[in-house]
Parts: sequence; C-alpha cells; structure tokens
Amino acid sequence: MTGTWGLLRFMLRRERIGLPWWLLGATLLVLVQSTQSQNLYDSPEALERLRRTVGGNTAVIAMSGPTRLLDSIGGEVVFEIFAFVAIVVALMAMFLVGRHTRAEEETGRAELIRSARVGRQAPLAAALALAGLASLAVGILVFAAAAGTGLPVGGSILFGAATATVGLTFAGLTAVASQVFENTRAAYGSVGLVLGAAYVLRAAGDVGSGALSWFSPIGWGQRTFPYAGDRWWPLLLPLVSSVLLVTAAVALSRRRDFGAGLVPSRPGRARATRWLRDAYGLAWRLQRGNLAGWVVALGLLGVAYGAIADTIEQYIRDNPEIAEFLPGGAADVVDAYLALTFGMAALIAAAYGVAAVLRVRGEETSGRAEQVLATGTSRLTWLGGQLSVALAGSALGLLAFGLGEGAAYGATVSDAGQVPRLVGVAFAYLPAVWLIIAVVVLSLGWAPRPSAVLGWVAVGYCAVVTLFGDSFDLPGWARRGSPFAHTPQVPLVDPALTPLLVITALAAVALAAGYAGLRRRDVGY
Amino acid sequence: MTTSTEAISISALSKSFGSAKALDGLDLTVAAGEVHGFLGPNGSGKTTTIRVLLGLLRPDAGQVRMLGGDPWRDAVALHRRLAYVPGDVTLWPGITGGEVIDLLGRMRGGLDRRRRDELLERFDLDPRKKARTYSKGNRQKVALVAGLASDAELLLLDEPTSGLDPLMESVFQQCIQEAKLQGRTVLLSSHILAEVEALCDRVSIVRLGRTVESGTLAELRHLTRTSISVETAEPLRGLETLPGVHDMVVEDRHARFDVDTAQLDAVLRLLVPLGVRSLTSTPPTLEELFLRHYGAGPAAGEQVAS
Repeated sequence: MTGTWGLLRFMLRRERIGLPWWLLGATLLVLVQSTQSQNLYDSPEALERLRRTVGGNTAVIAMSGPTRLLDSIGGEVVFEIFAFVAIVVALMAMFLVGRHTRAEEETGRAELIRSARVGRQAPLAAALALAGLASLAVGILVFAAAAGTGLPVGGSILFGAATATVGLTFAGLTAVASQVFENTRAAYGSVGLVLGAAYVLRAAGDVGSGALSWFSPIGWGQRTFPYAGDRWWPLLLPLVSSVLLVTAAVALSRRRDFGAGLVPSRPGRARATRWLRDAYGLAWRLQRGNLAGWVVALGLLGVAYGAIADTIEQYIRDNPEIAEFLPGGAADVVDAYLALTFGMAALIAAAYGVAAVLRVRGEETSGRAEQVLATGTSRLTWLGGQLSVALAGSALGLLAFGLGEGAAYGATVSDAGQVPRLVGVAFAYLPAVWLIIAVVVLSLGWAPRPSAVLGWVAVGYCAVVTLFGDSFDLPGWARRGSPFAHTPQVPLVDPALTPLLVITALAAVALAAGYAGLRRRDVGY
Repeated sequence: MTTSTEAISISALSKSFGSAKALDGLDLTVAAGEVHGFLGPNGSGKTTTIRVLLGLLRPDAGQVRMLGGDPWRDAVALHRRLAYVPGDVTLWPGITGGEVIDLLGRMRGGLDRRRRDELLERFDLDPRKKARTYSKGNRQKVALVAGLASDAELLLLDEPTSGLDPLMESVFQQCIQEAKLQGRTVLLSSHILAEVEALCDRVSIVRLGRTVESGTLAELRHLTRTSISVETAEPLRGLETLPGVHDMVVEDRHARFDVDTAQLDAVLRLLVPLGVRSLTSTPPTLEELFLRHYGAGPAAGEQVAS
C-alpha cells in the first residue's frame, strides 16, 4: 500500500480536466429535471393525473422506475432521472478505475510506477479511492441540486446517497473486471454489459412484480424511494457488494502476474480475410463493433419512443403544459412527438458521426496514418475509409431508429404502414447530420488540431438549440447556425425539398473543401 | 521508368515547422542498387527527410527526385514501388500481426505469400497475436516483414532494427544483403554502427538538417586520423614539425601520436631512415568517425568529401 496517497494525488491531477465534466453532467441532469418537473406538476392534481397516465403505461415505467415514486413531486424527479444519473455515475466510476488500473498496465506506464517505491496494491487502492471520492462528490452535488431547487432536505440526502452508492458498486465491479481481463476494452465491455443488464432487470422488475429490480444496482437505489417513504436500508446492498467486490479484486490481483489477466487474450487470424485489403476495409474493420453498438442502441431507443407514442395523446390531454414543448402544439400530437424524437435521434447520430470521422485524426496523431499513406493509398482513399463509416454509419443509425420506432408504434396501433413511413422520415434528418460531419472534415483539412473540439462544440450547439431553444427563448439568429433548425420537422410537416437540398449541397462543398485542404497539407502534424 | 542511375537525389532541401528548422539545405544522393547509410544524431532531420520522400511533408525549398518522380506529386504511383519501415511502429490494437502484414502488402499492390511466410519464420513472429499484445521488438518485426515481403525496388528504412535482439539483427542483415543481391536500393537510417559497416556501400552523415559528410566508408576513414605507435633505432627527431601530426608523446626512441590519414605517407618517409624496430598503426574506428561528426562543432561541416 506504500505510495497510495502520492498516487491518488497524481490521479486527481490527471483527472482535473475530465472529472469535473462528469460531476457537472450528473448535477445538471438533476437540476434540470427538478426545475422542469416542479414547473409542470405544480399542483397535487397535476401529479395525480400523471400517476393515472403513467400507472397504465408500461413503456414509461420500463424507461423510468417504480410508480410508487410518483407519490410526491420529489419522488417524480427521482422517477424520471435516477436511472440516467445512475448510468452517468456508473460510467464515471468505470472509466476512473479502468483508466488508472488496467489501462495503465496495458500501456506499460504502470511498470514505471511500480518500479518505484510503490506497493503492489497501491495503484488499485488509489484508483478505488479516486472513484470513491468522485462518487461522494456526485452524491453531495446531487443533494445540493435537489435541495437547492426546493425539494425536501431529508429525501435529498437519501437521493444523493443512493446515487453515490451506484458509483461505489461499479467502481468495485470495474476493479474486478480489470483483474480478469487483459485489455481495457474487454474490461469496459463486461462492465458495460452489467450496466445494461442492471437497467433491463430493473425495467422488467418495475413493470412486473418488482422482484427482478432487486438484482439491479440501479433498482437498489430507486427502491430507497426518496421523498416517497425514505427508506435507507436498501443502501446496505450496494455497500455490502462494493466491499465484497473490492475484496475479490484484491484477492484476484494477488494471484496474477503484472500485465496478465485471468482470461488470456484469444489469438486471432494469421492471415487477413479478403475484405481487409484497403483503407475502406480497414476503417470498417476498426469501427464495426462500435457501429453495431450505436445502430442497435438507436434502434432500441426507437422502440422505446415508439412504444409510448400512442399514449402521448392521452398524456397530453392530462398534461396540457407538455404540449408547449412539442413543435406543433396540442394538434397532431403524435406526429409532433415523433418529429421531436427524430430530432433527438438525429443529434445522437450526429454525435456518432463526429466520433467516427475523428478517427481520421486519431490515425494521424498515432502515426498509423504514416504507414498507410506510405503504401499505394491516396489521401482521398485514406480519408474516404473513415468518412464512409461516419456517413453510412450515421445513416444506418437513423434508419434503425426509424425502423424501431415504426415497428413499435405500428404494433401498438396495428398499422404495419408505420414502418416504411417512419423509415422514410429518417431520411429527412440525414442531410443535417451529414453537414456536421462535413464541417469536421473541413477542419481536418485546414485546421486539424482543433478538429475534435470543433466537432463536439458543433454537436453541443445543435443539441442546445434543439433541446432548449424554446425553453431558453433563444433568439432566431442564435438558432440559425444549426442545420437542424432548417430541417423540416417531418412527420409533423411535409418534407420540403429545398432546405434539404441546400443542406446536402453545403455538406458536399464542405467535404470537397476539406479534402482539398488535406491534399495540400503536411500529414502527421 | 527511372532514366538516371540515381534512385534518390535531394539537393538543398529545407523544411521548417513553425520557427523550428528541421532541414536546412540537406543534400542526399542514393544510387540505384546501393545500400546507403543515413546517419546522424537524434533530431538531425533523418526522419523528416524520409517523410518528405514519402510525400507526407511538402518541402519548403530544394529539389527532391525519387525513382524518377516527384515524391509529393506522384506519391501514390511511387509508393507502389517502395516499402517503408518506420522506427517506432504503432499498429491497430485489435488487429493481428498477420492481418497487418497482409493489409499493408495489399495496399502496396500485393505481396509474395511465400516470402511472407518465410520471413515470419525467419523473424520468429507469431502472426496470430493481436497487435496490442506485441512488444516493441515484435511490432518492429511486423513492419519489417510487411516491408521485406514486397517486391519494392526501393526500401526506406528508418531505424528499422530498434528493439530487435542480436539474433534478429543478424536475420535483418541477411535480408538486406539478399535485397542488395536482387538489385534493390536501400536507404537505411541507423544508429547501429556495426550494422552500417556490414551493410552500407556509402553513407551520408547529417547534422542540424545539413549533410556534413557523404561517401564510402573508406573515403570517410581517409579523412580521419590514424594512431601510430613506433620504436626506432635512432632517436626520433623532426616528427613534431610535420603537418598533420597531433598529440605526440616522445620518449627517446619511442613515440605515440595521431596523424591525419592523408599525411601518413610523409610520416613514414621520415621514419624509415631512422630504422623502424616496431610499428603499430590503428585505423580510426567507426565510432571515432561518428562521434567526431555527431559531437563536434559546426567546423565539422567544412570537410564535405564529395
């Protein structure tokens, strides 16, 4: 354990940029949800109407939590947001522990550290302490955000504590996974799988008898029922499991060699398949796992949104305030709702596209581009490989969303025609997504260094305009920069061809200009 | 396609990154079919030169021709005729070594499957392991096999043996000897002097982005000093006045001194009449040669041989 304290300070220093964003994200979720809910359901009657609508809607319950939470307005906030805050906190804990244990061993940096006067268990202990501190900080911030927006103090303390314990559980889980797997991706993958299972189990439990929810770390937190009974004892479950997981991780780490896992990496192919023969084959090979994940996630999101589309009408009748958030008001409620969900899906697809096309920069800074460009691969082909994944991948994601939403909505209203209709709708949002990707390419060609920052700022800006443009009362000029602001809100309105063609043309121009820049600049700097 | 016998000809090449001057009027000529050693201390511009040759960097000034083409304009066409091995190989973590070798080979326009397998065996590389599990030496082997398994007429090797063990180093030297016999041209940037001595027909030494020496190893040796230890029958006289004699220590009939290799003949003429009883002459080691150029001040640049 020698050196734990020094390592912890070093880790805090390395996380000083990233960690605040996680904390901010979790805090904002609670802050926004609490403010919004208290505005929307400002009377006991409004809350009662909500209980009635939601009580009979399994899709909403599956997405959020147990209905008992709806007994009070604070509980309603927990109902809506807890699962998402829990996911953010779980991911934060996972990355903190993974990055400072297995990833460090994999890169060989840990070897340097361990050769100093540092105990065998010190890096693990310091990483767990880091994740523990971060979870504690999230707990305090969630408490502050909840209590600060006027929710009862007692429930807010429980809300914060429940959030923090999710972080502890996943920190322990990642510590175990980091001992078991030899590479960081596999460790993250297994923890991600558990996180997904936790969400699904609590969904199944909350819809059914509730028994399955007790197998989910997210369910444990929700079943403390903050503001709706305030029971503390379920928190023993995450606390005990964290202790058990950490003990297991320590025991496992004693049994293995440095750099090794309990599960060795499997050998791969000795020869490349015929698909892996050029920059296109390489890009698809590198990104296929990621792409599949995003497409499936967007498809499932479509199913989730589609499943509740039909009940929206009833819901809006009960909560006319919500209609203000829909682009078409109370009329055409379902189409307005569908258009809104497509706007969100398009933002997610744009985020995927930006991440995918930024691989170009990653290849360049890592030095791998040099080896590819030293072969008969032209710069156009080299760019084209990753770009094709970004363009086609974001399209596939949007289509999967349309397919999922169409299938789920079509099933609830017994209308198979919804599938082709909503798949078709997806195409209307594609030009705007592509324009954002094209802007990143433009930057890659002429100013490669800030391309990542620029790409994410563009996505963030579009998200703010789409999601908060109305609630923040953004003036028209401040919204005009977002291509989504010019995209017809299909299916609420008919698709107008002119704006879509203009956006597509702009994207094409930006792509061509970006390529022209890439052709004439030095590669590798 | 190549009309001249020069595979690479660079003259007065300059390249800056911001205010940092990486290349400052570099000259380099590599004849077709020769193995050319490219030497210089870290940061002297070797890698930058190779990146210019690969068309990754655009020169600020100077002429660059490679295989009869312009490395920037004709990059893709030229790349089909060359193979490149970087000194610090980064690979795609989730892809196996065998796949990388095939991929790079195919991107270059095909590779010789038999030679690929033979090279894997000679370098003792397991192609089924994912790149993330390879050590530095093994990553280096992946790039070497990928480069050497091609039919490229020009090999650009940037410190290709860093991280290899001595056994693999000797396999590498064999491979380069074979490439030479096949008539291929090799530009070999290296810090391993034994390797350079064993393989290279000619060498160029660069420093601070300029070429300070170029020629065969014999020519370069000629420019340095030979150490002499001599015992004569008559007392030694008059030696210290000869030009080119340095660091002389005389004890009656015994002397130790260094002499500029060009002045060796004059020294011997003076010694012979004195009755030489014993004489040892030590030619300059390669180390001395390089250390003089790596470490010495700018004056070293004034003695360009060719």
